[in-house]
Amino acid sequence: MTTILATPAGRPRPILGDAAATVPTDLDAAVAAGAFGALRSVVGDLGPTGTVATIAASGLRGRGGAGYPAGTKWRAVTGAADPVRYVVANGYEADPAQSTNRILMEARPFAVVEGIAIAALAVGAREAVIAVRAEYSDAVRALEVAVFAAEEAGFLGTDVLGSGRDVAVTIRTVQGAYMLGEETVLLAALEGRRGQPEQRPPYPTERGLFGHPTLVHNVATLATVPWIVRNGVDAFRAIGDPDAPGTVLVGVSGAVASPGIAEVPTGTTLRELIDLAGGVAAGRTFKAALVGGPSGGFLPAELLDTPYSFDALRATGAHVGSGGLMIADDRACIVDLARLLVRYGADEACGKTIPCRIGLRRLAEIGQRYADGTARPTDPKLLADLADDCAASALCDHERLAPSPLRTAMRYFGPEIDDHILRGVCPAGVCSPIRVAGATTGR
Amino acid sequence: MSSIPGLGLVKGMALTLRRFFQPPLTIKYPEVDPDIAVKYRGRLQLLYDEHGTLKCETCFQCAQACPIECIDMGGTDTKGRYAVHWGAAETYGERRVESALRRAGREVPDAPFAAFEPADLDAVDAILESHDHDPHRMLSILEAVQDEFGHLPVAALKRISHRTGAWYAMIYGTASYYRHLRFERTVEEVAVCRCTACLMAGGGRLAEAIGAGLRTELGRPTPDGRIRFAWLSTHPPGAAAPLVALDGEAQLEVTAANATAWAQALAGEHPASRTVH
Repeated sequence: MTTILATPAGRPRPILGDAAATVPTDLDAAVAAGAFGALRSVVGDLGPTGTVATIAASGLRGRGGAGYPAGTKWRAVTGAADPVRYVVANGYEADPAQSTNRILMEARPFAVVEGIAIAALAVGAREAVIAVRAEYSDAVRALEVAVFAAEEAGFLGTDVLGSGRDVAVTIRTVQGAYMLGEETVLLAALEGRRGQPEQRPPYPTERGLFGHPTLVHNVATLATVPWIVRNGVDAFRAIGDPDAPGTVLVGVSGAVASPGIAEVPTGTTLRELIDLAGGVAAGRTFKAALVGGPSGGFLPAELLDTPYSFDALRATGAHVGSGGLMIADDRACIVDLARLLVRYGADEACGKTIPCRIGLRRLAEIGQRYADGTARPTDPKLLADLADDCAASALCDHERLAPSPLRTAMRYFGPEIDDHILRGVCPAGVCSPIRVAGATTGR
Repeated sequence: MSSIPGLGLVKGMALTLRRFFQPPLTIKYPEVDPDIAVKYRGRLQLLYDEHGTLKCETCFQCAQACPIECIDMGGTDTKGRYAVHWGAAETYGERRVESALRRAGREVPDAPFAAFEPADLDAVDAILESHDHDPHRMLSILEAVQDEFGHLPVAALKRISHRTGAWYAMIYGTASYYRHLRFERTVEEVAVCRCTACLMAGGGRLAEAIGAGLRTELGRPTPDGRIRFAWLSTHPPGAAAPLVALDGEAQLEVTAANATAWAQALAGEHPASRTVH
């Protein structure tokens, strides 16, 4: 069971709210706690234009990992000529180790549903889809109950709160590929096609689900929307990093005392996040933090004061990604982990772009050679070139970011790679590299 | 740049000469399976048009079969209509048997061709009916068909293609893309978790050891086609790390030390039925 880590008193939690306090699917209790109040004001005095302006002014950025400004997306969909529009909530948590979205959908289904209803009314969509991982049966059930109850109460369905507007929300389960977390891949799956990303532009905001303008947001982004409408732009902008205000959900796991999910303001340092999870587990030594899930980057102890926000993390070679923060202790071999993560990225690649399909496999082989101690003198340059090619030709962020584990391992854990190649020693005792005298020259 | 003039030429000729005396490398298909990439999307089919003529040119099959859809092909057929055709499921099999009789004087069994065996198409029709024959609902159609048969028979995919109007190649592409959809009739499934937590707990080496024991690699069935070696797409809440599951049941006693032996015992209970010459 995944626990929600306590945040210090006084800190607002726009996404999770006081999740544990009530039965999540009890509509009356949720309404008493303020749910659907924001929807009322959107239908009432705020109106669609005012809502889009509010979201744009709030500076909300997508919580799916890329951090794209939500207001820009909303404006693009609103400005589209096509009158048929869709809202898609991405509840497909691609990172197998993560459960932030699952916990959110299970604990706060009404926040997600209200966020979708507000988004649909604001951008003029009549249909909205919540795409959930099929394995998340509890989350699917919670959302189904929530959507049904909200329809009964008039918050969804025909003539929402007497506005004359219809919002139909359907829940679709998808499964079977890591890539489904990417927005165009998810749209392809919802259309019954194979899950491969599309060339952008046109962005989904122009041509998305079934060729119509589509607003795709992570469920956490949509769950933040009601809070912004209810508490105002200024209250939201006061939280966290001014460039990306608000809070983010971070799953802290690995060698920490009490792993769990934390809702923290953006800009919280990695060190504070580890402290929230009780610090590094007793008897273990911190070695690296894997930030961003399977395509994330390994950061050393010196970089623990990096703020957890989109731009600051990108600068280090890691990224927000799936919202995972995994602490590796001294028993873990970074070379071995990096090779396995890139191998995973290669296995999950959809096969559409050639540098991704073949390049990631070559990168995984370089990682394998590092771990075996049989690296070639050309490997460091080949790795850098391949990773650059992947980033330059990328159709989606998977290709752009999948080489990150190896790249950051090269950048911050070079001595450990040298131990493998030059000395035939794995400091953590995980790999059994062989020493090839004279054949290798280090990184 | 070489220091002695003509050294590069001599080197090149030496390589040619070495290759010249090396024996040819022949894979004796179908007795021996060639090594095929995981993302390989299947063979091309030779097609007949409505006159029964074999269409070897401008048949569009490359466009249909291309997994990454990089071939864009449109054109007119012999009657001047703009169309793309695809042949009957048996086309390949007929030609293959003919060819085998001519060249080998006997029929040669082809294990992959067994996938073309007939299926109960009434069940497929009922599933299609309940989905309004809508190609946009292809994933739930395929999932329902798999629930019915336990795997996806090619005959059923052909039926879906004919009834919904979706290209067979597109349906096959969709079906072969998603990991929970499968064509093999495997009996058991060994699954490992590849999440970051499991990898850190030694899941990577564990998976490699199990693969060695099963004599296969991740994502592929064992040589006898009985066990599927898959990876989980999500780490179940509360499950141990690293996680190994046999038919959905966590196998806590499997460790890196005994994984190969465990997998060998699992695979060895029914010795491989296929003979290798």
